[in-house]
Amino acid sequence: MERRGFLKAGTAGFASLMTGTGLLSWSPRSEAATISKTFYITAGTQTMPDGVSVYVKGFSDSAADLNIPATPIICQEGDTLQITVINRLAVTHNFVIGGLKTGDAPLASSGDIAAGGSKTITYTIPTGKAGSYLFYDNKTSYNVFLGLHGGLAIMPAGKTDELYPGSPKFKANKQLFWIFNDIDPALNRAVQQGTAIPSNFTPRYFTINGQTSLPPGAAGFDDPTRDAMANPMTKLEGIVGDRTLVRMLNAGMCSHAVHTHANHMEWLTDRGTVRPSVWKKDTLHLRNKLGKIDAIFPFEAPPDAYPPVTHGHFPMHLHDEMSQTAGGGMYLFGAMTEIIYK
Amino acid sequence: MGMNGGGGGGGGMGNACYVYPGAPATPGRVTPDVTFRRGIYMNGSMTMDDGNSVTIWGFTDLNAGQGQMDGMGGGSFPSPAMRVTEGQIVHTELTVGMMWMHTIHHHGIEPSTENDGVGHLSWDVTGGTYTYQWQPKHAGTYFYHCHTNTPLHAEMGMYGGLIVDPKPNPNDPVGTKRAFANGPIYDAEAIWAADEIDPAFHTLPWYAGTCGGDVGLNNLNPRYFIITGVDGASSALTHPGVAVTMPLGQTLLARYICAGFHPQKIDFGGLTVSVVASDGRPLPAAWQTQAIEAHSAERYDCIIKPTTRGTWTVTVQFLHWRTGAVMGTARTRINVT
Repeated sequence: MERRGFLKAGTAGFASLMTGTGLLSWSPRSEAATISKTFYITAGTQTMPDGVSVYVKGFSDSAADLNIPATPIICQEGDTLQITVINRLAVTHNFVIGGLKTGDAPLASSGDIAAGGSKTITYTIPTGKAGSYLFYDNKTSYNVFLGLHGGLAIMPAGKTDELYPGSPKFKANKQLFWIFNDIDPALNRAVQQGTAIPSNFTPRYFTINGQTSLPPGAAGFDDPTRDAMANPMTKLEGIVGDRTLVRMLNAGMCSHAVHTHANHMEWLTDRGTVRPSVWKKDTLHLRNKLGKIDAIFPFEAPPDAYPPVTHGHFPMHLHDEMSQTAGGGMYLFGAMTEIIYK
Repeated sequence: MGMNGGGGGGGGMGNACYVYPGAPATPGRVTPDVTFRRGIYMNGSMTMDDGNSVTIWGFTDLNAGQGQMDGMGGGSFPSPAMRVTEGQIVHTELTVGMMWMHTIHHHGIEPSTENDGVGHLSWDVTGGTYTYQWQPKHAGTYFYHCHTNTPLHAEMGMYGGLIVDPKPNPNDPVGTKRAFANGPIYDAEAIWAADEIDPAFHTLPWYAGTCGGDVGLNNLNPRYFIITGVDGASSALTHPGVAVTMPLGQTLLARYICAGFHPQKIDFGGLTVSVVASDGRPLPAAWQTQAIEAHSAERYDCIIKPTTRGTWTVTVQFLHWRTGAVMGTARTRINVT
């Protein structure tokens, strides 16, 4: 049993995220800094588009919050991360920052955090570690699927517009995370009830940054606290020329095909490794088992429009179309967001 | 962009929800260089190598006299390919009866919102004709598919190839075929759209699941594995529309389209291919490989120039999106004579 009563994922969790532009805000510094952050491991329920309530856990901003994913962290090489994780639950958890590349050791790891306990990790980021990272709980193989994950962006020191030194440039402060997750409520229920973990998973809900899309006419449509199409942490919104870095992290069970309409993406990295050359792709293979991709959405005028246009609304959706559903149906209630040319 | 229609709770078209019916005039419509006229069919079938049949939906070519079959009959599978030259202004007319809703999304083509074929951001075509207007700027391999209730409609077969050829190079001999402007020259061509079929999907109505309820659209468990509409168990090994036979010395452009929803791995049977483009864009440098891992809707343009006579078996493995296990394979051949 959990130590505290259930929280409800949703508005409270996202309130702290709704300030500013929604994008990862970043101002480079000439001097290294210590970035301090406290996460609270909390649990509660999240209501899926078909009304099903699913037990989830998160690295939250306070004991009263339930944040899925966790509030992102952005810093630069040379900074020192000082992250305290307080386990508010009745089972042991942990906190790790995954390595940059597949096979790399974690950047940092808390070790076990006992029920009711806390741990602090302190890690000074060396040069050469600029990139996108998933932090998560790997105490079990499935804790990450429950919602215990978030994004860490390490900028090259002093840079505002590069993923790594010398990378293709994006517009300063135009960067965000797309963190994907796949939810099999049978797993979540087993964790909640302390019963045997299923040996086989069949995900029924698919999220981007903790939300699903909600189509016109649906309850919550266009509500940024509920609709992944409208959440400024998730949607791409800009004018022609607003080159935006998208840091895609796969926290979920399934491999996904990330498809943007309106523009091809410039594919910079795969699983932390810089690609030998930049390919322009309308669909990118985002692997499971903690796969990740960095790409720039160039916000060029849609090239094939006639007459030419500079405004419009387009989707980014996963092309493994099972992921565009909820509860076995409900197309348009899956992992999708909007690309808006203002 | 206004949101048209709206769905919750049923809505007029059978039992569909969250559909956005419309067939308005095309903004900025001009006289096109080329026009495709597509109807739909909703009662086609495909017979597999084991003798079983599954229902197939698709688009008909009205210009070719295939008719607007709606719910009455069948048509070709995959749907008739579109082939255009970069820079042409293209019209794709889609006519749909009032009993159904569909769109055409030209995957990888990037037009205006109105012409992108995404129902909830524009409209689902019903009870009339909508003309998608677009002007391809980049030669390469694309495909088109229905974007209404996509997990079902694309699985049912509502897709076809879309090839954009480069403008002819005036310095080339007449008839020269290039993959893209100043790109490699090829003699023979194959379009391999590798797809998987789960028969459980192929008994559902077009609106299945849109109003809620579990119809299994999250769980695609394919039993058949096909290449360009031909069963890859054995038929695709010899089917003339899929298998390639070419004389030694010729160059093949194999346009591989990952048309299913699960990841795939295509292996060229020991041949080294030169991947020159992907998703309708030339690669900065050709990639030499004997196999490609791809996911849904990716395309890879592969130049293949065997140096000896022989037969090579091309194998597509279909990999479960969660476990990575091989669910099945589809095979075809390259015969060099």
